[in-house]
Amino acid sequence: MHPVEVTFDALLLFSMVVLAWQGVHARNMFRAVVSFMMFGLLTAVAWVRLEAPDIALAEASLGAGLTGALLLATLGRLGPERRGPRRRRAMKLSMLPWLALGLVGTTVLLAVTLSLPAPGLGEAVLAAMPAAGVDSPVTAVLLNFRAWDTLLEIGVMLLAVIALWSLGQDVLASTSRLPAPALPALVRVLFPLFVLSTFYLLWRGGHGPGGAFPAGALLAAGLVLALLAGARVPERMRGAPLRWAVGGGLFAFLIVAVGGMWAAGAFFAYPPQHASILIAIVEIAAGLSIGVMLTALFLGGEPTEVRRGRT
Amino acid sequence: MDLPSTAVLVVVLVTLPLAAATLLFASGRQPRTLTLAAALLLTVAALALGWNVHIEGVSVHRIGGWAAPLGIHWQVTPSGTVMLLATALVGLAGAVYGAGYFLHRAGPEGRMARVFMPLWLFAWGGLNALFVAADLFNLYVALEVMTLASVALVALSARRMALQAAMRYLLAGLFGSVIYLLGVALLYGQYGVLDFDALATMLDPDDPGSRAGAVALTVGLLAKAAIFPLHFWLPGAHGRAEPPVSALLSGLVVAAAFYLMLRLWFGPLAGMLNFGAGTLLGVLGAGALLWGGVLALLQRRLKMLVAYSTVSQFGFAMLVFPLAVSGNRAPVLAGGTLLLANHALAKAALFLAAGTLVRASGSERIGQLVGFSGRARWAWLAVILASAALIGLPPTLGFSAKWLLLQAAVTEGAWWWLAVMLGGTLLTFAYLGRLLELALLDAAPGPSPPPVLTPALLAPALLLALLACVTGLWAFDFELDGKALARLEPGS
Repeated sequence: MHPVEVTFDALLLFSMVVLAWQGVHARNMFRAVVSFMMFGLLTAVAWVRLEAPDIALAEASLGAGLTGALLLATLGRLGPERRGPRRRRAMKLSMLPWLALGLVGTTVLLAVTLSLPAPGLGEAVLAAMPAAGVDSPVTAVLLNFRAWDTLLEIGVMLLAVIALWSLGQDVLASTSRLPAPALPALVRVLFPLFVLSTFYLLWRGGHGPGGAFPAGALLAAGLVLALLAGARVPERMRGAPLRWAVGGGLFAFLIVAVGGMWAAGAFFAYPPQHASILIAIVEIAAGLSIGVMLTALFLGGEPTEVRRGRT
Repeated sequence: MDLPSTAVLVVVLVTLPLAAATLLFASGRQPRTLTLAAALLLTVAALALGWNVHIEGVSVHRIGGWAAPLGIHWQVTPSGTVMLLATALVGLAGAVYGAGYFLHRAGPEGRMARVFMPLWLFAWGGLNALFVAADLFNLYVALEVMTLASVALVALSARRMALQAAMRYLLAGLFGSVIYLLGVALLYGQYGVLDFDALATMLDPDDPGSRAGAVALTVGLLAKAAIFPLHFWLPGAHGRAEPPVSALLSGLVVAAAFYLMLRLWFGPLAGMLNFGAGTLLGVLGAGALLWGGVLALLQRRLKMLVAYSTVSQFGFAMLVFPLAVSGNRAPVLAGGTLLLANHALAKAALFLAAGTLVRASGSERIGQLVGFSGRARWAWLAVILASAALIGLPPTLGFSAKWLLLQAAVTEGAWWWLAVMLGGTLLTFAYLGRLLELALLDAAPGPSPPPVLTPALLAPALLLALLACVTGLWAFDFELDGKALARLEPGS
């Protein structure tokens, strides 16, 4: 490895450790959140160094962007006494056994991990690529070979929205906006770019890094920015239309999966001549739905429906 | 009569709950007919699957037509089918009970009725996906669906205590998931496969990396199955949730995590189940049996008593591991599976009946429950029958399960474990007997006018309890048939 790369990696690792420490120990919550977001960005860089661009994309948009936005929104809802400097907790003697246990566990784990042969299924995936219907191995695994896992994961996400929404109404209405006067103007310029990039990533998912999860995360980032700039869910979108946008991805996925049962004889089997188009449909539906679901999580509750006529 | 093929039935069982849940959520209405139709269809599909498995035995299905290790397999096993059947019965009973229980909740509590059914169906779908899965990572995702739906269901009851319990449950569940996932990563890093069968042929029981992986998988599942000493989250979550939710959680969700341990230790990890591992798991079980049982004896609130009883009963189930170390494993696995099924039916019945009794009495305290009078007597009858099944009186399903395990203990000369089993049964008898004695001899008049108890609040519990008592006859017959036992699991 080139000395510059070694230096870069060492710096990266060092900064990550420092940021992680700051995230946990920073004197005030705001600094802790910012450290956490920086940590997420550096983790994304680490994934790039490990030649996993798909994970890097997801990490940057979810780990740094969206989780950061969620934490900042939470911070906005805490009272000033909870936001300010934290009381330092004295290190208790009773923590020592746990610390020792953690240390031993980490050492054992490290030793075990380093000894793993890590064979993986890379070869098997590459061998099956001609029949996969897409060119990108990652998309082939996510939406074809192990599509059942992906479907259930989208189910988990939908469940998270239902769970959160079941706890109460939209909290955003009562949250103060970010004190950034230039934000609305900026968002007006940026938002179309976010939408464009979302579709670019969706289209790219077929043959390179990209696909439903990063695209959805990017869409969500754009929508959350718009919400922070003061935009609200349009009234005609509230209620059933929004809920269908949230649940539509899973529903489309289920239809394609069960369709394989009679079209190709097995659950989730794509007929070879239609595999590409079916995967593209699932990818777009899932990507858009993921974007809306992540935004729905940021909303914190279902937007109040304006009832007209009947009650 | 020609039944649909097993493959079709499995697809119905795993996709219908998710599709119906999404539809219910998106439409935002509460079409009770749609929910109940879906629940009924799922129950019929599970029964048909049971018949198919009885005829055909084990079957394997490739998802998307891809063979393992690249693709994911479903494996329909007899033990999994028993769990699918228990899920269907409890699922249907809970859906009917829930429809009746949340009927008159209007205003701010109206959301309970609106959210209950989608979450219930999601949990059902996650359970079904888990019972047919045979892939370490697919099981992780199915576990997540099940856990998240369960947490949301606990949080339905908006009372402060329930929300705190839900939060604690969420953290314990996530802890379990992370540790389980670590185990998956370790085994995948060692062998490059996730499929159970492939793993079973490749696994080297003496390899330290694989051992670390097995430990991580087990610890993660112990947390999710609330096995002593990782049970701390269970009494709050199960005791504070709404009654149909408690029934699902105590009867099935905990059992699913435990079932997964059975699948692993009697499947891919079977080579690692030596004296040390079996004894350690058995000691944890004995601890749970004692701790849960004693605390159940001390409870003053009805639902908390039932919740601690779950901790104790899963301690009993843990005793299958030391019994399976040497000797014939098939009857032990059969006993363990039937024990889970018995607990699912009886505990769900107990929680549903408890919810009805609490509503009828206007109090949760055991000393203030209404007596064996009026319509509440049907709920008490369910409690009595469910208690008989939990204790394991003949001819209940619990008796058949315990008989198999006792037989295994006698054949192997495992007298210590035999003593623990008998002690546990006595403890179960003690706390359930105390409940019946306090409540029936010391009955309170209850509020006047007495709340209306509709059949939806009475029949599901009674039917589940009856099933736990009656299926024992059939199961006993089935177990005595050596061929059926030999067919129970592949490779056993």
